[in-house]
Amino acid sequence: MRKSLILTIFSFILLLSLSLNIAQEKIQTITLTAWTIGPDRPSFYRRDNLVDAVKRLNSLLEKEGSNIRVKLEATFDTGTWADYKQKFVLAASAGKAPDIILSGHEDVAPWGEAGYIIPLDDLIKKYKDTTDLKDVIPTLWKSVQYKEKTWAIPQDSEARPLYFRKDLLKKLGWTDKQINDLPKKIQSGEFTIYDMLQVAKTAQDKGIIEKGYGFWHRPRQGNDFYIYYYNFGGEMQDPKTGKLILVKDALKREYQFFADNIFKYRTAPEKFIGMEWRIWHETVVAGKVLFWQGGIWHWAEWQQVYKADPKDLENNVGYALVPSSDKGKPGITLTHPLAYMVTKNSKYPEIAFRLIALATNPVFDARHCVTSMHLPVLSSTRKQSTYLKNKFLRDVEYMLKFTTFIPNSPDFGTYDTIVFKGLSAVANGDVKPEEAVEVVVRDLENALGDRVIIK
Amino acid sequence: MMLKIGDGVNPRPKKINWNLFFFLFPAIALIIVFFFIPVFLTFLMSFTNMSTSTGLTGFKVIGFKNYLQILKSQWTLKILKNTLLYVFTTLSLFNVGTALFLAIFSTHISENAGKFVRTLWLLPRITPSVVYATLWTWFTAEAPYGVLTQFLSPFGVTSKNLLYTYPWIFIILINGFVGASFGMLIFTSAIKNIPPDYIMAAQVDGASTLQIIRKVILPMIRWPILFVTTYQTLSLLTSFEYILLTTDGGPGFYTTEVWALYAYHNALSNYYGNTLFGFGAALSVFLVILGIIFSIIYLKVFNFKALISEPKIEV
Repeated sequence: MRKSLILTIFSFILLLSLSLNIAQEKIQTITLTAWTIGPDRPSFYRRDNLVDAVKRLNSLLEKEGSNIRVKLEATFDTGTWADYKQKFVLAASAGKAPDIILSGHEDVAPWGEAGYIIPLDDLIKKYKDTTDLKDVIPTLWKSVQYKEKTWAIPQDSEARPLYFRKDLLKKLGWTDKQINDLPKKIQSGEFTIYDMLQVAKTAQDKGIIEKGYGFWHRPRQGNDFYIYYYNFGGEMQDPKTGKLILVKDALKREYQFFADNIFKYRTAPEKFIGMEWRIWHETVVAGKVLFWQGGIWHWAEWQQVYKADPKDLENNVGYALVPSSDKGKPGITLTHPLAYMVTKNSKYPEIAFRLIALATNPVFDARHCVTSMHLPVLSSTRKQSTYLKNKFLRDVEYMLKFTTFIPNSPDFGTYDTIVFKGLSAVANGDVKPEEAVEVVVRDLENALGDRVIIK
Repeated sequence: MMLKIGDGVNPRPKKINWNLFFFLFPAIALIIVFFFIPVFLTFLMSFTNMSTSTGLTGFKVIGFKNYLQILKSQWTLKILKNTLLYVFTTLSLFNVGTALFLAIFSTHISENAGKFVRTLWLLPRITPSVVYATLWTWFTAEAPYGVLTQFLSPFGVTSKNLLYTYPWIFIILINGFVGASFGMLIFTSAIKNIPPDYIMAAQVDGASTLQIIRKVILPMIRWPILFVTTYQTLSLLTSFEYILLTTDGGPGFYTTEVWALYAYHNALSNYYGNTLFGFGAALSVFLVILGIIFSIIYLKVFNFKALISEPKIEV
């Protein structure tokens, strides 16, 4: 009896230690990698939201009884978009891409086509109901779709407004009411983009601002220029064929506007395209420019990087849609959603997907929005107290009703390079807008052949 | 009977000595791996539509389409002209011209002053490219940011982004300040190697400094001049990093785009992520051909064979 009891206890201990051992051996820690980018420094939650979601994912895995635990190596880039994308393309071609990449929605076209990223439809279906993914604003899903597949999970969105100095308008003789009504007048189309140039010129003529400081647009290549193209009647993509479109008249009017800004109204300095971003930001923060067009995230950048006085911004800087080209037409803006993608190199695509899904929650979304001044991807974020307290974001939210997007097309990079060179040549005073359009059309036809529709 | 060089010395039968290949193998292997194979692959790639969106597997062979696109492009001639302007202006003014001047100047002043001058000119070369290029962009920026603009404002020059106003002048200066030091070092050591007897003999004969430079020094450093000219032509032909970091080929329609940068922009860099490997490869093939043409011209013009033959006298 005693012998059998000892044997039982002994075998029990042995079994217990064995099972413990097995359980311990079974816990497998996998390392995921993620690359994210600002380039604006306040957008660091693009990385940190993923990092913080690791804890949530691990406890979820533990609850599910899984033996997998996740470790994340994540980076946040503040260099240029071109360098960041080049780094990813080269890494992906070499089979060394990270598990998760954050990029612009338009990249789903070339990268999906290349097989660098994977379609997420099945995973979205599987996890939508148990995560906050069901709450993602529907138009944002559209921005990450290409060839009827969903390739990414939206990370944030934004708008690109026109900013103006209220104190300078006051000096020009505008009343408080006139100043406060400006966003509405722009929205309704009562105040057009040429009205804006005229006001800027008057301010210069009266010596309220220096010559060349009337209206500043972005000084380097980027999405914002398509606001003006759309504004002057441009179309970008044929919905049936997916082919890119160039509307010659719209492009000519867009080029003419930028030429007029520099050479007719003299409201931007000569050789303006090519200015360093640092100089651009410091000048607008110093209150020297009357009208300028940037992104809503600049609001955070000016305070955190360029040390703008938050009170000065609040009291003296107004924001509105970009005024329309013609009277009666509403103002306009452009949104460029960023999104997390899972790469083909990922050994654990489902785990990587779940990490992104868990990082997409109203609390994380709200903290990213208020820190970097972006608009949320989840409807419920708008109910978060941190978000509700932010006047600026609530003020600009309406702009999404007037927004436009750049197209998802693998040819867009080639298209944009050609169209931007035309703009740069016009702004540099090398060619007239109509000549530039002809040159651009010839280049597009040579580079893209029948993949571009010229109207 | 006149004796020719090599006569009577080592009269070996003309048989291939296979042992030599053993010693040459590392060099041959390097050239094959890092030159011939890449050139061959680039050549093959240039017949495809390979791009980011096709990936390395989904591409199609499209024959001469890329080459036709280059020939049909309205910018091919301009970019070619830009390339020649960039290479030969930088080469003649700085990489050989200034380098020669600095070498002669710094060897004709006191030893220490000469060393100081040469060290000063080495600074741009030892500064990292990005830092050096950024310094120039700040130097030429609009007032009140740009030092140069501020300095020029009392002379009536309006504040402008000078880099974009006079892009070529600055591109050549930026590259030239870096490029001059290479030739300067080589020419200096060549000048120092000239036996002093020749210079003294010339001085005794009453030659002026200029005459000594023209009649003694320059002829005696012909070989280093050829070497620097050839080497720097080929390296300028393929270099673009300072242009990339400053004007990036702009402003406007390819104002400062050189061929190597054009190939880089198409093959490896795109604001919206889709780079055209195939088209970029076709552009690179043109560059290889251009390099070969230049090499042949130099070999003929400078009579390379005579320069590398054994000297007829003992120096």
